[in-house]
Amino acid sequence: MKCLQAIAVVAGMLSVPAFAQDVTPEPAMDVNAARAELGKRLFYDTRLSGDTSLACASCHQPDKAFTDGEALSSAYTGAAHFRNAPTLANVGFRDAWLHDGRLGTNLNDVAREMITETYLMNMDMRIMQERLKQDPVYVEMFAAAGMSEPSNGGARNALMDFMKIIQSRNAPFDTGAMSSAALRGQGIFEGKGGCASCHSGPRFTDDRPYNTGVPNNPDIWSDPERHSAFVTYAKFMGVENYMNIREDLGAYIRTHREPTKRSFLTPTLRELTWSAPYMHNGVFATLQEVVDFYDAGGGSDPYKDPRLQPLGLVPSEKADLIAFLESLSGDSFDTDAYVWREDDYDYALIEDWLNTEN
Amino acid sequence: MAQRTLITALAAVAVATASPAQENPRPEGLTALGPPPIPADNPMTPEKIELGKLLYFDPILSGNYGMAGAACHRPEAGWAVQAPISFGYPGTTHWRNSQTIINSAYYGKLFWAGSSKSLEGQARSAARGGVAGNGEDDMMEARLAFVPEYRERFRDVFGDDWPSVRHAYMAIAAFERTLVQTDTPFDAYMRGDDAALTDQQKQGLELFAGKAGCVTCHNGPLLTNEAYYNLGVPRYDGWETDELAQITFRFELLAKGVTEEKYRKYKDDPGLYFRTKQEADLGKFRVPSLRYTKYTYPYMHNGMLETLRDVVVFYNEGGGENEFAATKTGMIQPLGRDDGAIDATIALHEATSGAHSPTEAPELPTMQPLPVAQN
Repeated sequence: MKCLQAIAVVAGMLSVPAFAQDVTPEPAMDVNAARAELGKRLFYDTRLSGDTSLACASCHQPDKAFTDGEALSSAYTGAAHFRNAPTLANVGFRDAWLHDGRLGTNLNDVAREMITETYLMNMDMRIMQERLKQDPVYVEMFAAAGMSEPSNGGARNALMDFMKIIQSRNAPFDTGAMSSAALRGQGIFEGKGGCASCHSGPRFTDDRPYNTGVPNNPDIWSDPERHSAFVTYAKFMGVENYMNIREDLGAYIRTHREPTKRSFLTPTLRELTWSAPYMHNGVFATLQEVVDFYDAGGGSDPYKDPRLQPLGLVPSEKADLIAFLESLSGDSFDTDAYVWREDDYDYALIEDWLNTEN
Repeated sequence: MAQRTLITALAAVAVATASPAQENPRPEGLTALGPPPIPADNPMTPEKIELGKLLYFDPILSGNYGMAGAACHRPEAGWAVQAPISFGYPGTTHWRNSQTIINSAYYGKLFWAGSSKSLEGQARSAARGGVAGNGEDDMMEARLAFVPEYRERFRDVFGDDWPSVRHAYMAIAAFERTLVQTDTPFDAYMRGDDAALTDQQKQGLELFAGKAGCVTCHNGPLLTNEAYYNLGVPRYDGWETDELAQITFRFELLAKGVTEEKYRKYKDDPGLYFRTKQEADLGKFRVPSLRYTKYTYPYMHNGMLETLRDVVVFYNEGGGENEFAATKTGMIQPLGRDDGAIDATIALHEATSGAHSPTEAPELPTMQPLPVAQN
């Protein structure tokens, strides 16, 4: 009971008052605080992967705005990913998820996709559910969150609520503490840079796919663990001739329409200082490279969005633009509100097993 | 002396069918083991068998590129696991005893409750099962395509443009159909070599086929009728002492689709019930072959009997008790045999086990970058 109370106290702290002093891009989402707290513990638990080697936090690390610092993300044992891990800052506000936008429902589905996908966490969720039931902390936390017992559906809902509380906090753009360089950069961003035509709204994204001609990342195709994960994905998504593809087709994998080839969802520009490298395949290491790329009118691709044209920015304008982009980054997420600090991931033996209902 | 009389009577029956050269008539219902059946849709070729051997040992057919067929059916451990319960996928434990691959080619159905109809199907289920290989077919198939040697071999053997994972399972099954043992002392004896068994083994065979009644179920060339019975084997004791085992037990109930009431209630492996959903099948498991048994300890579907002596004593006492008492077979009754009879029965298993036949793992090919337009 003591533990239950402690959880309730922590859960209470997580709800709106704890954030009252923080400035966020949008009002907090409506979540069940106890469920979000449960989601936080799940997020850092490696037992959510088949061989217990990976947690959500393995690739979405709090000190990197829930990215992993790699151009191309890691993946399950024996595999490697062919995409860059996106930030989870403000992830609950998105209209669609994953760089190709193949999920457009809710974060429960996103959690399911990540946990069960063979090259990601490769988890049979029926085993996951029984693992959770073997951990007394989860048994208490599920109860505290209003669920009768641990279940895989409940775990996904809890992860959803945890992800919903991951909001940018206290970015200079939101607090009004922008430098004069950043303010000049904002003018370019909204004006001759044309950036705001896609990077719009409080998260600086319209959540829609575009082809900007981002260069192919050759590291996907030179590494059989990455490439075989891509083949698995392309085959599952029903792409023809998947063995001979040597490019990431982006949104095409769900539309199967030629002009959508190599188009990717506009990424949020929140938390960029924490989340290098950039683009869906991590080909750009710095914001300078990204700005240079757009200044040149993007890359080379027959389906490139025609709005991308050379901008002719001078170095000082680029510096201002970068200052503006940096002003969109807020506080670190490496805080108790977002990190399960306790190393308490243990199973407990059910002692009177024969007389205990499963 | 009643026993002697009965054996004599049985012998008289047997003599009618035995070959005239034999000094002792052979018991009815038992024969030497011939070649295994080869399914018409998966003929054997040396190249296919060689490919199957590579794949049997290659962890490429698993979720983490770490669990080969050989991981839980280890050649040096009787092509099984010499522990009560098989190894599980990392982070899990298994829940049943690993069965030997030797002579698996003869079974009509595979796994303890017969859930697989063929060796091909067994290989697929093992590669994919959550507490076994935990692999996914698309991923395993993609990986095979990145191994140049497999591209070549699958093309040669199956005509594949790219390796098909279904063909991988067929090749493994072909390899397993070579892992047969038809030359045990028991087989030699059944083929007419009177000197192949010791006197003690002959006494064991008389008991086996006579008073002890073993042959009722353990008959035919494989020494099994492949039917399903509940003998009252006690539940796996690890479920009371091992957290991971408790997890796996509930997972199996959940995954195999019992009702919630049964999921909450059961504390033992429902066995054949999982397939039929008939309560009369609760706790029933397929009669295993008694070949190669010397090397496949411990015994029964959950490894709860440690030695062959334990097994023979178990039968001598009329089997055991488990929570599915209602389905326990009446065919097993206390036998009251003495130690000499028990020793003789154990000695017979020496004769049905033959020589241990491990194979060395082959050198395995690896994934390589895949240049454009290889095929």
